[in-house]
Amino acid sequence: MRKKVLQYLFMLSIGFPLAFLLLLSLGRRWSFPSVFPQELSFVNWELLHQSDDRLFQTFFLSMAISLVVSLMVTSLAFVVSKEIAYSKYRNTFLFLAYIPYLLSPVILAVIFQYFFIISNLTGTFLGVVIAQFLIAFPFGVLIYVNFWNKQIKELENLSYTLGGNRWQTFRKVLLPLSKNAIVLCFFQVFLISWFEYGLTNLIGVGKIKTLTVSVFNFINEANIFYAALASCLLVIPPMMLLYINKRFIFIKR
Amino acid sequence: MGLRFNNKMNNSKLFKGLFLAIVVLPVASGLVYAFLFSLGIIGVLNKGFHWDVWQTVLFDKPFWVSFGYSLYVALLSVAISLSVALTIALSWQKKLQKGLLSNVIYLPLCFPATVMAFFSFQLLAKSGLLSRIGYQLGFIKEINDFPVLIKDAYGMGIIFTSVLLITPFFIILFSNLYQSEKIASYVNLAKTLGASNRQILQKVMVPILLKRASITIYLFVIFVMGSYEVPLLLGRQNPQMISVAVLQKIQRFNLYDMPQGYAMSMLYVLLIMLILLIIYIKNSNLFKTQNS
Repeated sequence: MRKKVLQYLFMLSIGFPLAFLLLLSLGRRWSFPSVFPQELSFVNWELLHQSDDRLFQTFFLSMAISLVVSLMVTSLAFVVSKEIAYSKYRNTFLFLAYIPYLLSPVILAVIFQYFFIISNLTGTFLGVVIAQFLIAFPFGVLIYVNFWNKQIKELENLSYTLGGNRWQTFRKVLLPLSKNAIVLCFFQVFLISWFEYGLTNLIGVGKIKTLTVSVFNFINEANIFYAALASCLLVIPPMMLLYINKRFIFIKR
Repeated sequence: MGLRFNNKMNNSKLFKGLFLAIVVLPVASGLVYAFLFSLGIIGVLNKGFHWDVWQTVLFDKPFWVSFGYSLYVALLSVAISLSVALTIALSWQKKLQKGLLSNVIYLPLCFPATVMAFFSFQLLAKSGLLSRIGYQLGFIKEINDFPVLIKDAYGMGIIFTSVLLITPFFIILFSNLYQSEKIASYVNLAKTLGASNRQILQKVMVPILLKRASITIYLFVIFVMGSYEVPLLLGRQNPQMISVAVLQKIQRFNLYDMPQGYAMSMLYVLLIMLILLIIYIKNSNLFKTQNS
C-alpha cells in the first residue's frame, strides 16, 4: 500500500512542473503571498492565434530551425557514419566526434564566433542553422555508428553480389533496416536543436529569437506568465514526438 | 568492378574528409584563433605577443574556482541522481517495465534545461511557490524568512534542477540494464547461495549496474559541468560555473576581458579532451558496438 502511494506521488511529481507552468501561463497577476495567480484567463493563449504575435512567429521559427538541422544531420550523418564505422581508424574518428559532443555548446559557440562574424553569419537564420548543425552532427554520427555492423555489411555485399546497384541496395536493403536508427537520429537531433539556448543566443546575437531565447527574454522582462507560456510551447512538441515514438515506432519494433 | 572499387574509394575519402571538415576543422581553427587572440597576436586588442592572460588564467584563482565549482555541482548532482535512480529502478522494477509508470517516466525528458530552470526559479525563489505555501501554512512570517535556495553559494538551486533533469534518464538506463544484464538471474543465484537481501543489493545489483553504466556516468558529469542555462538563471556571480564565467568574460563591456575568456574556453576544452582521453584509455570498450 505504502509502495503504491509512493508510486502515485512520484508520478504526480513528474507531472507537476507541466501543471504548474500551465497554471502560470493562464495567469495575469500573482502577487505574494497568493499560492495561485489571482487572475486566470486564456488571454495569453488566445494571443497565439494572431499570426503577428511574437510567440506565434517564434514557435514557427524554432520549428523551422530544428527541422532543417535535424534533416541535414540525419541525412548527412547517415552516409558519413558508414565510412567512419568501417574505417580502420574508427576509434580515432569516434574520439574526435566525442570532443564537440561533450563540450558545452556555448563554449563551442565562443570558439566559432569569430568565423561566423567574418562570414556575416551572426544574427542570421543560416548562421544559427550552421552552428547548431556543427554541434549536432557528431551526435548523429555517434548514433548511427552503432547501426553499421558486420551483419549489415554482409547484407549489403550480398545485395551487390546478387546484382543490385547502389541505389537499389540503399532503397531495398539499407533503408528498411536503418529505419529505426534514422527515426532515432532525427528525433534526438530535433530535440538538441529545439532545446538549444546558449549557442543560438550567441550566434543569433538576439536577432534570431527561438523559443528558448524568448523564455530568457520574458524572464528578463519579468513577464513570468509569457515565459511560462513559451515554456509550455517548448515542452509540447517533444511530448508529441515521445508519443509518436512510443505509440508507433517502439511498438512496431 | 574496378570502376566501382575506385568510386567506392573516392566516396570513402570524400565522406571522411567531410567528417574532418565538419567535426575537426571548426573546433581546431576556433582553438587556434582563441589561442592567438589570448596571446595578443591577433584580434582587436592585438598589441604583440605576451603571456599575461595565460599567467592570469593559469595561476590566478577565477578559472580554477569556476572549474572546481562546476566539478562540485556535477559530482554532487550525479551522485544524488544515481542514488535516487538506483532506489527507484530497483524498488519499482516491474512497474517500470509496464504500466503507467513505464510511460510517465519518459515525460521529464521532454523538459529542456531552460524550462526546468524557470520552473525551479518559480518554485524555490523567495517569492516562489514553496515560500507562498510556507507563508499560508504559517512556517514563515514574511518573504525574507524563506531560506535562500537559488543564487546561493552552494549552488542548491542548480543541483536541484540538474537532479530533476538527469534522474529520469538514469532510472530508464538502470531499468533497461536490469533487463539486458539479466540481474534477476544473478539475484536468484545469490539467494540460492544464501546471500541476504542486503548482500544481494550491495554485492550483486548495485555493482553490476554501476559498472555497466560507468561510461555514461562519466559523460554525464562532463555534461553537467558544461551546463549553461541552469547556472545562468539559478547561479550567482561568485562562484560561477565555467560556461557562465567564460561567456561573461566574452560578452562583458570591458573588451580587455575577452582574451581571458578565450584563454579560459581553450583551457576548458583541453581539460575536457584530457578527461576524455583518460576515459578512453581506462575503458577500451568505449567505442565498441554490440556487433563490432
